[in-house]
Amino acid sequence: MHKDESSEFYIGYQPQGPAGIMRYVRLRLILLAATVISVAILLVYGQRPFADSFFDFGNLQDFEGYVIERPVPLLMVEKIGAPGSLPVRRDYVLVAEGKHGAESIINGFNGKKVRLRGTLIRRDGIEMIEIAGGSVQAIGSKSRSLSKEGGAVGKYILTGEIVDSKCYLGVMNPGQSKPHRECASLCIRGGIPPLFVVRDAAGRKLHLWLLSADGLPVNMDVLDFVAEPVEISGAVEKIDGKLYFLIDPVSISRLKM
Amino acid sequence: MSHSYRAIGWNRQKRNYDLLVLSFIFVYLGIFIGLGAFIHPNATIETMLIRGLGTCALLMLHVILVIGPLCRLSSAFLPLLYNRRHLGVAMFFMALAHGGLSLFQFHGLGVLNPLVSLFISNLRYDSLSGFPFQPLGFLALLILFLMAATSHDFWLANLTAPVWKRLHMLVYVAYGLIMAHVALGVLQAETNPVLAVLVVIGVVMVMGLHLIAGARERPLDVEIATAGKEELIDVCSVNEIPEGRAHIATIYGERVAVFKHEGRVFALSNVCRHQNGPLGEGRIIDGCITCPWHGYQYLPETGMSPPPFTESVPVFNVEVRNGRVLVGGVRVESKK
Repeated sequence: MHKDESSEFYIGYQPQGPAGIMRYVRLRLILLAATVISVAILLVYGQRPFADSFFDFGNLQDFEGYVIERPVPLLMVEKIGAPGSLPVRRDYVLVAEGKHGAESIINGFNGKKVRLRGTLIRRDGIEMIEIAGGSVQAIGSKSRSLSKEGGAVGKYILTGEIVDSKCYLGVMNPGQSKPHRECASLCIRGGIPPLFVVRDAAGRKLHLWLLSADGLPVNMDVLDFVAEPVEISGAVEKIDGKLYFLIDPVSISRLKM
Repeated sequence: MSHSYRAIGWNRQKRNYDLLVLSFIFVYLGIFIGLGAFIHPNATIETMLIRGLGTCALLMLHVILVIGPLCRLSSAFLPLLYNRRHLGVAMFFMALAHGGLSLFQFHGLGVLNPLVSLFISNLRYDSLSGFPFQPLGFLALLILFLMAATSHDFWLANLTAPVWKRLHMLVYVAYGLIMAHVALGVLQAETNPVLAVLVVIGVVMVMGLHLIAGARERPLDVEIATAGKEELIDVCSVNEIPEGRAHIATIYGERVAVFKHEGRVFALSNVCRHQNGPLGEGRIIDGCITCPWHGYQYLPETGMSPPPFTESVPVFNVEVRNGRVLVGGVRVESKK
């Protein structure tokens, strides 16, 4: 207790508070300042490490390549490699701005060569382009399709987390787990391709694009299961180096936390 | 004290108080975002802002909630209470910035109205681990808005002190919603125990100080045995009351402040008309009973504030017999 409490009386609208009380308060304010600084530092260091993802926000780039509408919207970009070698190919998953898929933007361009402007997104070796509105233009008459190289891998029961690929790959960081559930649900509802992130026996991450057994989008069927541990059974296919998980959404079950 | 309303009745101590609050906010956000950007270079600025603003508001709310019980335990903390209203409004703006950014970040630019998305994007209301934590924060923000919007003497006078006080007691509901928002949200995603430990320390501190202050107040509410409402009740000896100060007693369920001033004794309601402050813990300054919370003043004889102010508190009949102070149970309204 303050020793001058019995003799001093504080009135806020007076220009100056009593000396003893104000000295007491100043000491407490120093303690409060130390607490504020300590809490800020503890909370900075206490946060879970952030994923090494990349969203090149504000830097629009031009891309040229072939549009593939299914199973997941892609831009196949081929660049001339070293003399005597095959062209180097890079695939970019396509999404629209905001929480929207690219389907309506690339509708009618399937297989065609286009030029578009967009923002690069990247994580774990997967690259994505957020297409700038109205920037897709057909160039040339050549067309391409996926090679289906590889095909069926096998049937599996896998455990992991369904994420919206756009946020997970870098637009938000963190873009997964409980605090991100509502956002992931809204993104997937808007057409962003859902990605199933699993870890294999060695602890390595695998990324599988979720599709129905017919290879069609399952977005609306997985909304209730995003951003939490789930188990899903289905068939894994590998097409042009990408893994696809063809599932019956009924097979999705929550894991107890 | 007021006889007209201004947006803010500034004075030197309020300015100092607000400068201090702003300094603390800038220091906190500066460290959280500046050091955060250095330690977590992969974090996006929106994430750091959302987290920084949210935790800043939470820290401020804890400070706000402990000021009350601390003042009950020691009057030396009263300078922190004097302008707590501005601290509350500043805390609301931090929470609003946190909520607004979160709403845009997590629910904006989608196929649903953000406010619809807030309530339907996670429908696991039947699960504790899956429970949607964001609507809890939104409801808390609505309460904080109500409180910030009415945080002015105009509303205090027009809603009346008891209604205003009850409205502002909703801060405890908001606190509960916010702690659930934190526990069901970020605490489920973070793995470092430091966050959970800080939250527990905060809750224990708020609850503990309230319980201690409450326990200390209880003896004041022990009612003096009485036979009937007409009876004059012996509340204390005149010598027990220091000059210019009061003895507080509870009669007929109400706290009465019995002041001694220049050889006379006066009995008034212990409840200040302004914010229900404890008048009996005040002093007589310049011939007026002065509330310890915000300095509202009343004349001891009439319970009226000195002109031009218009507030008043009820006064009670009081007599001194054989050195004992007797207070009338029948309440006499202040003389206008």
